[in-house]
Amino acid sequence: MKTDDLILSLARDTRPIRRDAIRRRIAAGLIAGGIVSAVFIAFSIGLRPDLWLAMQGAAFWIKWGYTLSLSAAAMAMTVQLARPDSDRVRGLWLTAVPVILLAGIGLIELALTPRADWLAMWLGHSWQACPLIVFTLSIPIFGGLLWSFRSLAPTRLRAAGAAAGLLAGAFSATIYCIHCPEVSAVFVLTWYSLGILLTTLLGTLLGPRLLRW
Amino acid sequence: MRTNEDVLRGLMIDGLDGDAAAHTTLLRLLVPLLRGFYRRRVRGADDDVEDLVQETLIAVHTRRATYDWDRAFTAWVFAIARYKMVDHFRRAGRLRPIDDLEETLIADDFEAAAIARLDIDDLLAGLPPKQARMIRATRIDGLSVAEAASADGIGESDVKISVHRGLKALIARVQRPAQ
Repeated sequence: MKTDDLILSLARDTRPIRRDAIRRRIAAGLIAGGIVSAVFIAFSIGLRPDLWLAMQGAAFWIKWGYTLSLSAAAMAMTVQLARPDSDRVRGLWLTAVPVILLAGIGLIELALTPRADWLAMWLGHSWQACPLIVFTLSIPIFGGLLWSFRSLAPTRLRAAGAAAGLLAGAFSATIYCIHCPEVSAVFVLTWYSLGILLTTLLGTLLGPRLLRW
Repeated sequence: MRTNEDVLRGLMIDGLDGDAAAHTTLLRLLVPLLRGFYRRRVRGADDDVEDLVQETLIAVHTRRATYDWDRAFTAWVFAIARYKMVDHFRRAGRLRPIDDLEETLIADDFEAAAIARLDIDDLLAGLPPKQARMIRATRIDGLSVAEAASADGIGESDVKISVHRGLKALIARVQRPAQ
């Protein structure tokens, strides 16, 4: 095709684009994937029966505070890496904030708990399953983000993959809270984070292959 | 119309607001910029260059949501062009010599250089051909006076005089206030 004809056919669909189009596009993929994960929980392992009651307690909100703030930090990085001219990523340190805060809460929790109960608190009832479930639930979300990236322009594919993986993992952990009855901060800090880390690793490995355009 | 950052950025923003005419103009203005960019870097058939130009135009259009209004437009375009070029080499499975690759990866103001080159082309076009050719050879392509003389089959003093007169004319033109 002649370049001039190409330009005319491209310009024929000049739709207005909002300034925050990247954020909306990523949020759309994230939420669509999140809904799939939530439905999957509802029909497999089930919601926690006391969800409504739990949502009135501090432990639930500490978990959500951790996973949601981590999601927000990962979102900020993903948005930056979705642009072609993302030379330097700002706000990487933001991902450390939720981790440090939760670790602080964990220390207080340990100080208030007799030493003999530490191991039980750390392992909870589901330490073996938790990281794998977070990882599994993150896959539809990661898929949603791959869809988002189809109209975006990452040029640092590994970094963009890692950021998308972190976002998928953190959001998957957020969704998992509607099932998981664990209450301890050290549990969340270890096993949730391990699942999130696995997802980040997946994103880092797949980014260069799946995000090409 | 002068092709520079402010003009291009203005057209881009109008295009993002839905102005198809501005968007068309923008894409048209990008064609010579992109051709220049790829011609200098992709040694190969003109078809390759034109393919890359078209691919880049498509990417600029379909991924224009990724332009950040607060940042330089040309930096955004050339980031896409660089990505498409690296992708082109990867697909071609061709290994590039390292020093070349480095030149590709370092983002040392490609955009400024490309626009400056356009301006230089404009200016040189107003000179007698010999003067323009000699300035290009000695001041832009970096040949020595002797090399330029033998390349053009003229005497060294002829080269020196051409460059001198040409530069003088250019200085006079640049210093004249813009009309």
